[in-house]
Order: sequence, then C-alpha cells, then structure tokens
Amino acid sequence: MMILKLSSILLILVQKFTFSDQIDNMETENTNKRSFGKILFIILTSIISLFIIYYSVMSMISPGRKMEEIKKEFEAKSDDKNGVEGQIFKDSAYLMLLKERSFLQSRIVMAQTDSIYLTINMADSTANIEISGVVVHKAKMSSITASRILLADNLNSILSMLPTPFTISKTFATIKKEPVMIKMAPKDTSEYKPDIMPDTSITEPVNYILLMNNGIRIYVYQEETVKANDRMSHLSFDLKDRLRDTWNSLKSVAALKVPEYHPFIKIRLPRTDAKIIYRAIPKNGQIAVFS
Amino acid sequence: MDKIINDGTQPEIEKKAGGDKPVNGNKNRPDTTLWQKFRARKTLFSMVRFVFFFICTIIVTFSLILFILYVVPLLKELSPLHNTEITNNQELKKEPLYKKQTSLLTKDVQRLSLKVNGYTSGQSYIVINTIENRFYLYTNKKLIREGFCSSGSYMMLQTAKNKKWVFKTPKGKYWIHGKTTNPVWKRPDWSFVEEGSPIPSANDDSRYEYGVLGDYALALGDGYMIHGTIYKRFLGMPVTHGCVRLNDDDLKIVFNTLNIGSKVYIF
Repeated sequence: MMILKLSSILLILVQKFTFSDQIDNMETENTNKRSFGKILFIILTSIISLFIIYYSVMSMISPGRKMEEIKKEFEAKSDDKNGVEGQIFKDSAYLMLLKERSFLQSRIVMAQTDSIYLTINMADSTANIEISGVVVHKAKMSSITASRILLADNLNSILSMLPTPFTISKTFATIKKEPVMIKMAPKDTSEYKPDIMPDTSITEPVNYILLMNNGIRIYVYQEETVKANDRMSHLSFDLKDRLRDTWNSLKSVAALKVPEYHPFIKIRLPRTDAKIIYRAIPKNGQIAVFS
Repeated sequence: MDKIINDGTQPEIEKKAGGDKPVNGNKNRPDTTLWQKFRARKTLFSMVRFVFFFICTIIVTFSLILFILYVVPLLKELSPLHNTEITNNQELKKEPLYKKQTSLLTKDVQRLSLKVNGYTSGQSYIVINTIENRFYLYTNKKLIREGFCSSGSYMMLQTAKNKKWVFKTPKGKYWIHGKTTNPVWKRPDWSFVEEGSPIPSANDDSRYEYGVLGDYALALGDGYMIHGTIYKRFLGMPVTHGCVRLNDDDLKIVFNTLNIGSKVYIF
C-alpha cells in the first residue's frame, strides 16, 4: 500500500516535471536536442522493459522445461496411464512407499562405497552423516524449503531423481573445507617454538551451497545469528549466489535460450552441525534425499 | 523576464485547470501559482529537476535489479508444473492389482530396510568426530562412552626445500590393526624437522620416546593410532599430527572394548 502511494506520488511528480519540460521546450532554442533525448529515453525504457518481460517469461518457462526433460527420461512409467495400473501411480500411500524405496536404494548404493555421505530426510527433518551404512552424526534441521518440483508428489521426479544418489559437482562456502595453516620448519633448534593452543573462539559464519550433478542445489545456512556479522554474511552470500545465477540466466536469455532451472533444497542447521557436514563430506561426495 | 513568462503561462494553466472542472478551478489555483513561482526560479527548478530525475533513475534501476534478483526466482517457483494428481481412492485400495503391487513394494521396502540396518554392526565400534574433537564408543548398537579427544591440527609443515607434511586425521572407515600396552613412540622424520633438529638414521636411539603415548595404543594403519597423551589440557582441540589422543580413563575403556578388527569411523 505504502509502495503504491509512493509510486503514485512519484508518477505525479514525473508528469509535472515532464510537462514543465514541454513548456520549457517551447521557450528555448534547444527544442530538437531535448526531443531527441526524450525519444532516446523512451526507446531505452521500452527496450529495458521488453527485455525484463522477456527475461521473466523465459525464466518462468524454465521449470516446465526441466519437468519435460525429466518426463522424457521416464516415458515408460508415465502417469498418464488409464485404468488401475495408472491409478496406482497416483495413490498417496503407494507414492510414499515408492519414495521410501528410492531413499533406501540410494543409501544402499552409497553404503557400498568407502566414502562419507549425507542423507537428508525432509519428512522427519534430519540430516545425517553416514559411513558405510552407519549413521555417525545426526543433525536436526530447523527449517526446510524446497522447489515445488521436489516437494510435490510428482511421480516423475521421484522416479528420476531420488533412487540414485546426487553427486556434488561444485561448492560455494563461507568456510574452508580443510582449514590448513602453513608453518615453516625452523632452521635449527634455536628457532623452534612449541605450538600454542589453537584459538577455538573464532566462530566464522557457516553458509554453503552444494551444486549437484543432476542440477539440484542444496543450500545449507547456519541457524543461529549470534553476531550481527552472521546476518550480513548470510545476506551477502545469498546475494552473490543470486548474482551468479542471474548472470548465467541472462547469458542464456541473450542467446535466445531458456535459462537452466535448478531445483533447490534450502535447509537451516545449527552452526556446528552445518560445519561438521561440510567438512566431513568429500569434495565430490554423495547425498540421498527423501522428499 | 521571469515575470513575463509567468504572466504568459499562468492564464493558460488556469484555463486548463478550470476549463474542465470549474468547481476545482479555484481550489487548484494556489497550487498552480506556487508551482509557477517555483518554475520561475529557473536555476533552482533545473537543479531540483535534475536531482529528482537522478533519484528516480537510481530508484528505478535498484527496483529493476531487485526484481531480477528476487522476484524472478519467485516467479519461477510459481509457474505451473505438470504434477501427478494425487488420490486416496478407497475403491482403488480394494482392487486386487493394487493390493498385489503394494504388497510387492512393501516387501521391497522391508528387505531394503533390513539391509540398511544390517550395516550397523552389533559389535563394538568407535566414532570419532574430528570437527568437534569428540569420540563415541558403541557396543551392541548402544552408546557406552563418549568424551573429548584430540585430532589432527591441519598444520602444514613446510621446509625450505619445499618438503611438506599435513597433520590431519584421515576420514572414513578404518579398523583396529593392532593393540599395544605401554607403547613406545618411534619419532618420524617430521618430528625432527618440526624442532629444527637434524634427521637421524632410521633406527637411531633418539627416535624412540617412552611414556608419551600413554598406557595403550590402538593402531589404525599407515602410522595412525588412537593413544593417550601427556598434553591433557589440549583434549577437545585439533592439535595432533594425525593420531587420535584420548585421556587415560577413556583410553582404558576404549582399549578394553575394541578388539582387533573393530570398526573405527572417523569424520
């Protein structure tokens, strides 16, 4: 409401100033110059407005495109089937069992590897670290938000995305994966200084994004805002990600392509748990999701 | 000059304001006059107009950036998707085909659940959290002891000749390779480099140190061990060269609980 009022005041003022300009134009000798400026202004405004509309439309198309891609992969088990067999795939209890099976299949695949991996269970809000099938760390998520494509009981997404573990392809984080400190060896015993006690009071904000090989993005944010810096760090980290994403989308749209859509899962965890998970899972680690 | 302009334009505006709506004409008159007076001060008017358009441009640009960064991603999520129409049809649940399919799937889920649960050994195992520097000892899938430990410092020791050692505790699944009482520490090369001492021969007497590893040691392979420490004030901190240090009481229980072959999970 406030924004609307402000916008209308602004519009009135613009109209007044522009109207005055028209009168001024009649009085000055630079009428042509001003008219040219005005035309240029109108053209530029129109181009920018059109581009933004075009960009918004293309962006809105992208989730549908992603869905179509998923659907194409699993044409055989399409939910468009008629009859009892088709109806089964629409039944909530059956879909729940399918999800459960997918999650277990995914965990078994990862348990057979020798690596540390993460399981995210959105149903019971837990994020666990497992090694060879053994849960070694449990964390409770305080909030979860996810793309509709993952949250909706969508048969295609369940069948295509969940039974195979996601593999991390890239990460962006506010903390180091391995906090390695370099220490130069002393030349002789006179230069030797024993190690001092490490400073454990340093509490850098923990926020990170895990980019998966199937296009899904997992955002992990620390739950606490202990210091004012925590909120700022979260905001700037989020802004950087949005800028990166928007830049890529703008490049696609400029090349007349539909921008790539990345389904996301955003979770909030206690700072320590978020840090443990980030440092525990390998660079190209795997994740199983139960949505 | 200003006066002439005022005199020339005022009647026109008055006419415009009052022509269509005579009732509002008188009401608008003071405003219009004020506007005209303001316009008459050309320099001030130009300056205000410039500032106004400058602010407007900033507001519009900022709004556009916010729209692209924050509103468009929201719009993406609002766009229609072809979702499966979920039903909870009771009639369908009575269908033999439904029952058969559900029963098959349930059996599958149960089988997979058993498999997943089977991964957690009923025997003793230890979990080491190197980020918080804590350990958790389990027997029969139950936690029997937990406490502080010390793990790798993530220090990289570098010599002038560019030789490097990184002191970190390896992560993953390990098992106990051997158990020793009253272990003796055979100092590796880095231990001498770290002090600035010359590196002695492989079996030199200066390499052997007694009593620094506590009463017990459990070997994890590749020279890594779970052992005791004389630096108890550092427990709960990342200070070691890769081994896991425990206090005397915890070490005794861990030593007595774990056997050769027992699993060690480090993350």
